[in-house]
Amino acid sequence: MQGQLFEAAASEFEQALAINAADPKAHFQFAVCLLSLGRNDEARSQFEQVRKLAGGSRYVTYYLGRLDLLSNDYASAIKRLGSVVEDRPFPDTAFHLGVAYISSGDVAAGTKWLERAVKLLPRDYRIHYRLARAYSNGGREQEAAREYDLYTQLRDEHKNTEKEVRGCTSALRAEPLAAQEVCHRIYDPNDADKLTLLGQLFGDAGAFAEALDPLTRAVQLDPSSFEAWHNLGVTYFRLNQYKEARAPLEKAVALRPEFYGSVVLLGATLYMLGEDAAALPVLERAHRLNPADTQTAAVLEKLRASQKKQ
Amino acid sequence: MASRGVRPQPRGKPSGLPFHARFTEVAAQAGLRAPIIYGPPDRMNYILESMGCGVAFLDYDNDGWLDIFLLSGTRREGPIEGATNRLYKNNRDGTFTDVTAKARLGRQGWACGVTVGDYNNDGFEDLFITGWPQNTLYRNNGDGTFTDVTEAAGLLHSGKRWGSGCTWVDYDRDGRLDLFVSNYLVFDFDKIPPTGKDPNCNFKGVPVNCGPRGLVPERPMLYHNNADGTFTDVTARSGVGSVAPGFGLTAVAADLNGNGWQDIYVACDSTPSLLFHNRGDGTFAEQGLLSGLAVNEDGSEQAGMGIAIGDFDTDGRLDVLKTHFAEDTVALYRNAGHLVFEDVTLRSGLAVETRYVGWGDGIADLDNDGQPDLFWVTGSTFPEVERKHPEFPHRTPRVLFRNLGGGRFEELLDAAGPAIAEAHSSRGVAFGDFDNDGDLDILIMNINEPPSLLRNDVRGAGHWLKVKLVGTRSNTSAVGATVTAAYGGRRQALPVLASSGYLSCGDRRLHFGLGSAAMADLEIAWPNGVRESVKGLRANQLVTVKEGVGVIGRERFGS
Repeated sequence: MQGQLFEAAASEFEQALAINAADPKAHFQFAVCLLSLGRNDEARSQFEQVRKLAGGSRYVTYYLGRLDLLSNDYASAIKRLGSVVEDRPFPDTAFHLGVAYISSGDVAAGTKWLERAVKLLPRDYRIHYRLARAYSNGGREQEAAREYDLYTQLRDEHKNTEKEVRGCTSALRAEPLAAQEVCHRIYDPNDADKLTLLGQLFGDAGAFAEALDPLTRAVQLDPSSFEAWHNLGVTYFRLNQYKEARAPLEKAVALRPEFYGSVVLLGATLYMLGEDAAALPVLERAHRLNPADTQTAAVLEKLRASQKKQ
Repeated sequence: MASRGVRPQPRGKPSGLPFHARFTEVAAQAGLRAPIIYGPPDRMNYILESMGCGVAFLDYDNDGWLDIFLLSGTRREGPIEGATNRLYKNNRDGTFTDVTAKARLGRQGWACGVTVGDYNNDGFEDLFITGWPQNTLYRNNGDGTFTDVTEAAGLLHSGKRWGSGCTWVDYDRDGRLDLFVSNYLVFDFDKIPPTGKDPNCNFKGVPVNCGPRGLVPERPMLYHNNADGTFTDVTARSGVGSVAPGFGLTAVAADLNGNGWQDIYVACDSTPSLLFHNRGDGTFAEQGLLSGLAVNEDGSEQAGMGIAIGDFDTDGRLDVLKTHFAEDTVALYRNAGHLVFEDVTLRSGLAVETRYVGWGDGIADLDNDGQPDLFWVTGSTFPEVERKHPEFPHRTPRVLFRNLGGGRFEELLDAAGPAIAEAHSSRGVAFGDFDNDGDLDILIMNINEPPSLLRNDVRGAGHWLKVKLVGTRSNTSAVGATVTAAYGGRRQALPVLASSGYLSCGDRRLHFGLGSAAMADLEIAWPNGVRESVKGLRANQLVTVKEGVGVIGRERFGS
């Protein structure tokens, strides 16, 4: 499913680049999709293109470092990821740097960065596992045992959540009315990620009213979660509650200004609220992010025409 | 079985180096024409029908030529004509004769795995077969016939159980082969949810057979050989029974840390794989996680099917290759010593191939260049899926990675002969030199088709050495021994296995490709812990080494 979404997105960015090959943002998004699709050589070439067009950035350096790691060029991965790890573009930068060091044979340095990574992403079982292996290789058996325990616990939780998600998805498909009970097994009032996931599952099944509660709770718990804000905005929008949709979408756009989905939805929300003046620049930005979206182009045309009349 | 949605890594530029092995499909001309029945031909309504079975190369009559034993399944609706386990005797001219009836091995049912070894030390290889709902022990009578002694041996279990992997193993070094059996899951045709019932019974939106997720996993079992033809269930006493239940498949026994005691590794399907570390006191400690063999390098369990043990980097330590489901990589684990394994799948170049469901596998020097290559067979478990998703065909090709040295491998798509690209839904695989010409041939189980017999014709100038061990204080089959060959600056270890690949068993004569080296020295670690050396062996011969005696036979094939 995820692969299909990346393929669709890659195709859209490719189209956008056919219209404007000099757009570094489109090159960047296209490159990220290609990386997710395992088309690493093409991804690298797109990231290099971004660098040529817009100069270096820590985001591009991060991705090139990850590509180096995937192609077993550990020295280059260490250099690139090491150069951005203090001002990390993504929370898992230290994780990939740690893996690069360990793969290169420098277990001590790798362990140091994995220790840093595990503090940044304490619920990521992959990091605990890698750290446990690193401790084990370094003869630090007690610390290894602790990390193995944490890994096992988190992995079990993850598997349990996967099972619950499968059950919820199936129930929503088969008997939407009875699904509430099954799906609420995922509801953890203290886990923003799980709440966001639950909201998303309800949303995917068209049960928008049911999605509101978990998503509202999720943004309260983790106000820095782009996914939670974006999904909350989408949910209000799909319920035609445009007034309520506005704030969450503004938050989402503030957190990820380059994400077309949030920007266009915010523009549409403002348009539905009759705030044409506010909608115009937002939709213009959306159009710049995805020039291939004809619907946005049509709305923009309408807005511009009505503004001219005024 | 579950896909992890892993994308393949990009392929590098081909090395352009010649590969000197060439495989030709010779099953039909060799007389292996009977299809191996396993469930309906066009669909698989039950997971039992989809898992297939193993094959074996063995020399049941001790004539120095490999015979073939093929397991078989059946169909739910009842007995199917010709669906039986089959024994084929090697006619020493490239053909085989079906001697199933004469050997009294004919039986119809759901056979699964096979392990070959001389459990009563009478000099003849016996057969243990797992299956659903019961396992079977066949004693080799030494006169070309076998007798089902399951009940007399105390190996008949109550109720229905799905035995999957099995291996002979002398875990207590008393010179007699004990028996390890892994069990897959609780199965009953009448109780398994129907196709498509829940999310565990769907693949890419197509309703398919259910499992293993959502079904009840099982624990493995260990039986101690009492030296009087009977066995005692020591599952609880040995610690083997104290592990969490899992979906156990292939089980392989070898001394993985070189301490003289046999460890047991079990590939588990969608649950963490198990490594039973032999404590040397009759008990085992499960150390899958600590060893690094339970999960992949990201800590995720994979759909473990087949296991190969060999020494791909020729450092004298036994490494492990494990096969998995489609949209996932295989796992290649490098033995770093002290029972610590490092997942080197990505850096070795194997992640370029994720298209197929992998089953029986081998770490074997197929072109005699002195560096073991990797081979596995493939095949989907859901024939229904390809109608909607042609990108997931039921029948898929074999996979061969040649060893480039330096820990790197390169997939060969066409360079090893047409038999590699042939598509089948394959399961078990066994490696052995059936035509005694100094290379490794490959026997493959294909679901609802005749088996494949890939004859290898190595062209280049690579030398080889074959080693047959005969135990005296150890079990006569020498199952559990490890031989390390030193040649041309390399040290390659190979174990004598009673089970390998997927639920299968290969030639117990060890095959070392030597490359340009014309001589080799051997270090033998016998299953009872004793070590012996044999120096200055010339290449291109089979040597037979008897425990405590030394070389007792030399044979140059074709002469």
